Amino acid sequence: MSLLTHILGWPLLAALVLAFVPRNFRFLTRLVALAATFTSAVLAVVMFVKFDTALATDFQFVQILPWVASLGISYHVGVDGLNVGLVLMGALVAFAACCCSWEIKEREKEFYILLLVMTGGILGAFASLDVFFLYFFHELALVPTFIMIGIWGRGEEKDYATFKITLYLSLGALLALIGLLALYLQMPEDKRTFDLVTMTAHFRAQAMDGSAQQFIFPLLLFGFGILVSLWPFHTWAPLGYGAAPTATAMLHAGVLKKFGLYGLIRIALPMMPEGAAMWMQWLAFLCLGNILYCGLVAMKQKDLNLLIGNSSVAHMGFVFLGIASLNVLGITGAVLVMIAHGFLAALSFGLSGYLYQQTKTLEMEKLGGLLRQMPFFGAAFVMAAMAGCGLPGFANFAGEALIFFGAWTEFRVVTILAAWGALVIGAVYMLRAVRSILHGPLPQQWHAAQDASTLWCRLPFALLIGALLLFGFFPVLLTKKIEPVAKQIVKDARAVLKPSVTVGVKN
Amino acid sequence: MNIHALPWFILFLPLAAAVVITFFTQRNKTASAALSIAAVITSFALSVVLFVKLSGETLPNPETFNLPWLHVSNLYVDFGIKLDQLSILMLLVVTGVGSAIHIYSFGYMHDDRAVSRYFASLSLFMFSMLGIVLATNFVQMFIFWELVGVSSYLLIGHWYERPSAAEACKKAFLTNRVGDFGFLLGILLVWSTLGSINFGTLDDMLKANPAALGTAATAAGLLVFCGCVGKSAQFPLHVWLPDAMEGPTPVSALIHAATMVAAGVYMLCRVFFLFTPDALSVIAWIGGGTALLAALMAVQQSDIKRILAYSTLSQLGYMVMAVGLGGPASAMYHLTTHAFFKALLFLGAGSVIHALHHEQDIWKMGGLKAKLPITFWTFLVATLALCGVPPLSGYFSKDEILALALGKNQALFAVAAFVALLTTFYMFRLVFVAFTGPAKSQARDHAHESPAVMTWPLIFLAVLTVVAGFIGIDERYADVLGKPALGNHNVAVIFGLSAFLIGLFAAWKLYANALSDPIPAASSRLASLLRNKFYFDELYAKIIACTQEALATAADWFDRWIIADLAVRGAHGTTELTGRALRLLQTGNLQTYAFLFVTGVVVLLYVVLR
Repeated sequence: MSLLTHILGWPLLAALVLAFVPRNFRFLTRLVALAATFTSAVLAVVMFVKFDTALATDFQFVQILPWVASLGISYHVGVDGLNVGLVLMGALVAFAACCCSWEIKEREKEFYILLLVMTGGILGAFASLDVFFLYFFHELALVPTFIMIGIWGRGEEKDYATFKITLYLSLGALLALIGLLALYLQMPEDKRTFDLVTMTAHFRAQAMDGSAQQFIFPLLLFGFGILVSLWPFHTWAPLGYGAAPTATAMLHAGVLKKFGLYGLIRIALPMMPEGAAMWMQWLAFLCLGNILYCGLVAMKQKDLNLLIGNSSVAHMGFVFLGIASLNVLGITGAVLVMIAHGFLAALSFGLSGYLYQQTKTLEMEKLGGLLRQMPFFGAAFVMAAMAGCGLPGFANFAGEALIFFGAWTEFRVVTILAAWGALVIGAVYMLRAVRSILHGPLPQQWHAAQDASTLWCRLPFALLIGALLLFGFFPVLLTKKIEPVAKQIVKDARAVLKPSVTVGVKN
Repeated sequence: MNIHALPWFILFLPLAAAVVITFFTQRNKTASAALSIAAVITSFALSVVLFVKLSGETLPNPETFNLPWLHVSNLYVDFGIKLDQLSILMLLVVTGVGSAIHIYSFGYMHDDRAVSRYFASLSLFMFSMLGIVLATNFVQMFIFWELVGVSSYLLIGHWYERPSAAEACKKAFLTNRVGDFGFLLGILLVWSTLGSINFGTLDDMLKANPAALGTAATAAGLLVFCGCVGKSAQFPLHVWLPDAMEGPTPVSALIHAATMVAAGVYMLCRVFFLFTPDALSVIAWIGGGTALLAALMAVQQSDIKRILAYSTLSQLGYMVMAVGLGGPASAMYHLTTHAFFKALLFLGAGSVIHALHHEQDIWKMGGLKAKLPITFWTFLVATLALCGVPPLSGYFSKDEILALALGKNQALFAVAAFVALLTTFYMFRLVFVAFTGPAKSQARDHAHESPAVMTWPLIFLAVLTVVAGFIGIDERYADVLGKPALGNHNVAVIFGLSAFLIGLFAAWKLYANALSDPIPAASSRLASLLRNKFYFDELYAKIIACTQEALATAADWFDRWIIADLAVRGAHGTTELTGRALRLLQTGNLQTYAFLFVTGVVVLLYVVLR
């Protein structure tokens, strides 16, 4: 069996095992969940290390099991340079999320089962090379999200948030489904298959009918876009994350949300160059809605989770900008930011969840001076804030820099505004959060707040910060893998456009 | 050891110290301090070795030290070491002055509760600054540029529990970010026009074809200059620097003398090839304007550190003006001498503050000359140097800038000479009021001289201040940056010395024995205008409130009530309404159903049989 099947299989298997563990064996429940996600994470690291960068455009760790031959559906997993980093990020974040789940005190068994199903689903969605399974795994991860927010969520608006996130994401998934089915039907009848590799190769050789592209591309763009909180379909995100239990927010904001972006890059761009040519400039303007508008909204938030939620929506704007620029720099940067933001969003929501445990409130006006009481938490939070406003040394900077260089040659005004959003607006809300939570005098009521002092408390945060720093210091670890695939995708997607403006001399 | 390995050690030792302190010696204050101090002193020693070994030698092509950091498509970002006379001299200044400040900090911060955090941040700061000095390309410089920003944020906010410090560090970081915004756009513009971000390559390209940047040339230069406006606190982004005084005094010394603000000027000299004559004249006027504005503000401050802060602003204005007038060598010369005496001034002020138990108001000082002799005499040396009195180093460097202005732009020369007068005035106001004039409070009675760990750095810096004019620093800079075209030297000297004498006389007349400031009594409006720094802070607060903050409020409102509410609840409402409408059809009345059924059949029959 392929390593990938192990990576996504262990959490699913563990979910099955947990179903038979008695409800009151709480320690065992946790242990099984931790062991499964830990195994996944370790195997993902092994896979990432073993991945042959020289052959980054080829799929590696491939496994194919035919399932419904008549419809051309098969279980087909594999990674190339595009998704190898995403699978790694997903597995690490899942383990960190599992570590952060000690806050769940009731119905633990069900919670951990759902968490494991969600993990397996996410990893499956990123590893699948079959459109049917890709979608199936995504739904497998999506449905537990709704249930977890509905049952273990917090805050007064929990029910409304659950309702809203379900409505939005189901709608997005539905649009994407229609688009994907339409793609399938565009294949000639005798060759119809859900196999992604075959489909891409087919449409590369035999361009899809232009009018079909004009119809299908927006379905995928907006379907996937809603899943990623593309402006103006973003309002579910801050609200949903604000209400979600910590682990769910970490996994969804960090990993599952990236699925829509992955779908756009993997499916929509290379198969429908004409659609891309038509829609990318619109996307460039929509992404300003994410970067500027949601950044401004984040400035005004009084609740920390709403602030982080809006900032994560804003960060998605950079990825959209990278995609919209349709050049190697932009796409490579977009994938890099997807991975970096996965770690960062998980870190931010993990920290805010920890803070909530200590103070039972995330209203920033009530907090203050906590750096003295909680030095480890404070240091980690400052790092998250700095990574969030694009400080070099964290992986986000490398990705955002690539996106700016990529977008500059395509959309100059948009890039200028986006740079303002990244450098100034992002810094304003992040530093305001630090100022009101950590700095200033410590109010009497928080003298009892406990710092994350045990190894288990610190581990998830240390792991995520470590990953951000590792890829921040050595972005080549990722870009060397992403770039060759990005080149191929750009080549496919620009089939009808003139090649992008080339600037640059070696040194 | 291979000589080319040295710069890597110089650069990474402070980072290593910061990392080790953070992870291992948090609880042991002395070990943390020792590590940090050892790192910076070793860096200094290695810089001296490098200086001695490489001086006079033709330096190898810096490109050979490049490591690829991020190569994607047509963007080549290297992590390299740029080694030429400019960077080696700057290394010496940064690590030398940095060493003195590190050692001094050990005494000054002795009783602080977070010494380890302090020294870790200090080492991070050194690392970031050295990175700027050694950068070979724009992106590498931008990376360390940002790191300097964040380490200054950590240090200015060291006493984060004080709201004023918490606000100050935020302000410093954000103001710098505004400058960085322009800097980043400048980098993008240069890259997209010339296709490279490497200083060496760009220099060669522009030498081969000065018009290579085309119409973007002036814009690119000015955008890059924005970075300097932020870091070196030039008008209109000067507002963060005085507030940055909220940090511990050695931090102010570091920010004002050897790091951070010097980075902006250094960057201008590093990329001097980029600037067109138009861009240079804007730079010169911004520099001259800042020098004048800050000198005026300094006249009415009463906080000892703030007076020094405005004098830094003003001197930075000189340096930027010198770059704008086509004399980067003069700017670097003044930067170097200024680093010595400004560090000395700040450390002297720190010694006073330390002795008076954190009293910073000069109108509560007085008569400190006898109590703090070493502090006083070293402070006086630095003051005289700042005022440009021969034969101290400040005289030579300032005189060079005056002569440069005289040759290039008479109006700026007049500004510069007037600023020199103001400088002497406000500095001697400080000296008279705090040191030689009558005591104004009880605080003085218990004051005593600082310990040796704090006074030795003062003496070290005082010696540097005295000798720096004679050891050929200017020639070395002229070798690498080109000899500036100076105007008539004698005229400049006469104007400079007259400015000093007039300023000294005025200060002596007004403040030698003053118990309170006579200026507000004479002209209260002028005094409050100066004291309130021409109301720039208030003006900016208003501008931000009615632009970005107003936009944010509007966006928040729109998000909450229009997008989230109307769209979502609207969709929800439509669905519900449809549901209700459809429910009306479900009456549960068999006759209604039968009627509808028959109607349907009739309609169907009609359609089919028609």
